[in-house]
Parts: sequence; C-alpha cells; structure tokens
Amino acid sequence: MAPPRRSRRPRTTLLLLVLAAVTIITLDARGGLHVVTSGVRSGASDAFSPIRSGVNAIVEPIGSFLAGSVHYGAVREQNQKLQAEIDQLKMGNQSSVDQAEALRQLSALLHLTYLGNLQSVPAQVTDFGTSDFAATIDINVGRSDGVQLSMPVVGNGGLVGQIVKVSHHTATVRLISDGQSAVGVRYGPAPGALAVLNGTGAGRPLSADLVPSNTPLTPGEVMVTSGLQGALFPAGIPVAHVVSSHTGDTATQESVSLLPESDLTHLRYVTVVLWAPST
Amino acid sequence: MNRSELARLSLVVVLFVVVQDTVMLDLRIGGVHPDIMLLLPILAGIVGGPSRGAGIGFATGLVADLFLPTPFGLSALVGCLVGFGVGLATIALDRSAWWLVLVVALGASALYEVTYGVLGSVLGQPQMLHVALARIVVVVAVTNVLLAIVAVRLVKWGMAEASTEGMPTSEAGIGAA
Repeated sequence: MAPPRRSRRPRTTLLLLVLAAVTIITLDARGGLHVVTSGVRSGASDAFSPIRSGVNAIVEPIGSFLAGSVHYGAVREQNQKLQAEIDQLKMGNQSSVDQAEALRQLSALLHLTYLGNLQSVPAQVTDFGTSDFAATIDINVGRSDGVQLSMPVVGNGGLVGQIVKVSHHTATVRLISDGQSAVGVRYGPAPGALAVLNGTGAGRPLSADLVPSNTPLTPGEVMVTSGLQGALFPAGIPVAHVVSSHTGDTATQESVSLLPESDLTHLRYVTVVLWAPST
Repeated sequence: MNRSELARLSLVVVLFVVVQDTVMLDLRIGGVHPDIMLLLPILAGIVGGPSRGAGIGFATGLVADLFLPTPFGLSALVGCLVGFGVGLATIALDRSAWWLVLVVALGASALYEVTYGVLGSVLGQPQMLHVALARIVVVVAVTNVLLAIVAVRLVKWGMAEASTEGMPTSEAGIGAA
C-alpha cells in the first residue's frame, strides 16, 4: 500500500478544527448557538426516527442474540425463572405477568396524587441512554404531544428527571441520577428546610448539598421538590429518601446519601408533566 | 474531496449511525454499550493520514454529536484530535500489516474515551468523569477491535476514489482493501 496523500500543513488544519470545535462547544453551552444546535439535533432525530424504527424491527433479533451470547449466565438464569413462571401460569391460568406489570405501572401513573391538577402526558421509555457518559432515557412523546424543553418527568414513586432534548415525536430525559442534575428540595417538619440533591452517575445514590452538619435525618425520610419561585420543578413531588447520613469531624455540612423514589433502572412508562419553569 | 467520495463517506457514516443507534444501543455489557462511531476518526487516520484523519474525525464527530446528550461539538473535538494522532503515529509504519488496525483500534479507542471524559470535564461537565471510565474503556476498546477488520474495509471504500482521481499529487492504491 502506498503512503497516503499528506497535506502540506496538517498541524494548521488540526489547529483550525480544534478551534472550530471549541467555539461550537462554547457557543452551545453559553446559549448563543443552542437554538441552532437543538434545532439541528431535533431535525436529525425526526429524520432518523423512521429509519431507526425500520432497522430496529429487522435487527432487533440480532441484537437480542448478541446480547444473549454476552449475558449467557443471566439469560440462563432468566430462562429458568421464565420456565418456572410458565409452569405457574399453566397451573393457575393467570394472565401474563409482564402485562400485569405493565398495567400496574400504567395504573399507578394514572393516580399520581402528588401531581394535583397539573396536566400530564404518559410516555413509554424507548431507550436507556445513548451515551455512556450521561444518565438519560429516550421517550416516545415529543413536541406534537405538547412536550417542551425543561418539563419535569415523573414515574411511579416520584421525580424521574427533566426533558433536555425534544423533537417532533421523541424526547430525551436527563435522569436525576445524572451528574449534571440538581434538584431543589425540602425536608423535615413544615415548612421544611431547603437542600439541593445532586446526581452522581447512573445507578449511584444521590447526594445532598446544603444540609447543615448534625441535622437529625432518619433513614427513609423523603425529600420533596421545593417549588421555590423560579424552581425547575413544581412543589411537592417526592424525589428521594435518605439512606444514610453522617457528619465529619470538621465538616460544616451533613454528608447524606439518598435513593431516588422512582426505580430509575426499571422504567417502562413515565409521565411528562406539562409544566414549564417560570423564568 | 470530490462528490463521489463525499457520497460514499456519507453512506458509510449513515451506516455507522444506524448500527450504533440500533444494535449497539441494545447491546449492553456491564451497563456499558459499545461505541462504533469513534472507529471512524481512528480508521480515517490510519487510511488517510493526519490531515484527512483530523478532517473526517471532526465531521463524523459532529454527526455523532447530533444523537448524543453530551455537549455538542465534544465528539468533533476529540474526533479530530484522535484522527490526527492516529495518522501521525502510523505515518512511518507499514499500514498493510493486518495487525496494525487491531492494535490501533484498541489503543486509540481507549485513548478516545479517556480524552472524551477528561475534555468533557474540563469544558464544564465534571460529571463526565464520575462514570465507570475503566469499564467504558474496556468494553468500547474490545468491541472496536472485534469490529475493526470489517469497519476498515468500509472506511477504505468510502475514502477510496478521491485519492486517486483528479489530483496530480495523489497516489494510487490507498483504497485497495
């Protein structure tokens, strides 16, 4: 093979490209270009959506096969469980456990007492994150269903996250476990003290900020959204419960570990609250 | 880059996006899914050298960014750096050696993911380092080694004609898989 054609000034090319990339990232982050990039992203999602569902229908069995070969142990265990379930179903003539679970989740979503009179849209989870570097989910509702950027998303137990990307028929939700997520909450006896719950990554407990040292917190205590003026979420949505807390010798803040009220790893259906933060 | 090469490369990029967003998203190993989009700058660097590696890495990174929740432009930044780096590192090597693609895919994939996390963190997203980086590096690097042999043929096909057609300084044979 012959050597490749080389540019006379590859370093200049690289420098220009790096500058272009850094400029794009900066403008996107600062908001100047965000309208454009979110528009382009939304357009790409819309254009790609039919291709994706078409190809998914064809290759899903292949993906499942590959996943099966990678998770052989888990699949075998699951197989045994399923076999037992089949036997049980045959004996008791029960309806499908899977359907019952879906029905349970959907029914629970219809009776979210903490939402009050707020309007909402039910949605199905289509993907668990497109990047290993962020905790997000994709859902099957979008602008055509009234969904807009920054709207809160809730599940059975409580807050799930916030809409960070929306296209015509789909949207991406940043989970409260994502490292970029911060939720203002209240805890303790009314009117309640204020704190901020930060995500620390998918599958990890949340951490609380602004809880003064030696605050008495009992495991299981639930923290709810504060709903202060300008807050990102309406008031009163359960967010997470305390798992453990301790104060270091010289710390000014309590170190609190919390678990989300919604089971973020097994989401199938969620509800988008049609509520936009007041700016 | 002429129209023929642009069309071919676009086709290859679309194919990579489709495979990434369908099969690869379903395939999770230890909670991490493979990322074949970063094979594009790596292989462009091997096939085309530093300049084209950087250029194609930038362009394919922007496409990848369209479908990612991470900062827009970050994949483009890491893509052009990795494409350039791979081109530069392999410039003096015998690129026809079959093992070169595998070794480079392994090393450059790992380097890409670490750079991605570190640069993301530097550019205002500190949570990008609060992930299971070691697991991501291993899963992505190993799957990319397995897929590199097929992927390099596609990238060579995509970059083939432009280097031999209509350019007086071009040299034939780059695209010969």
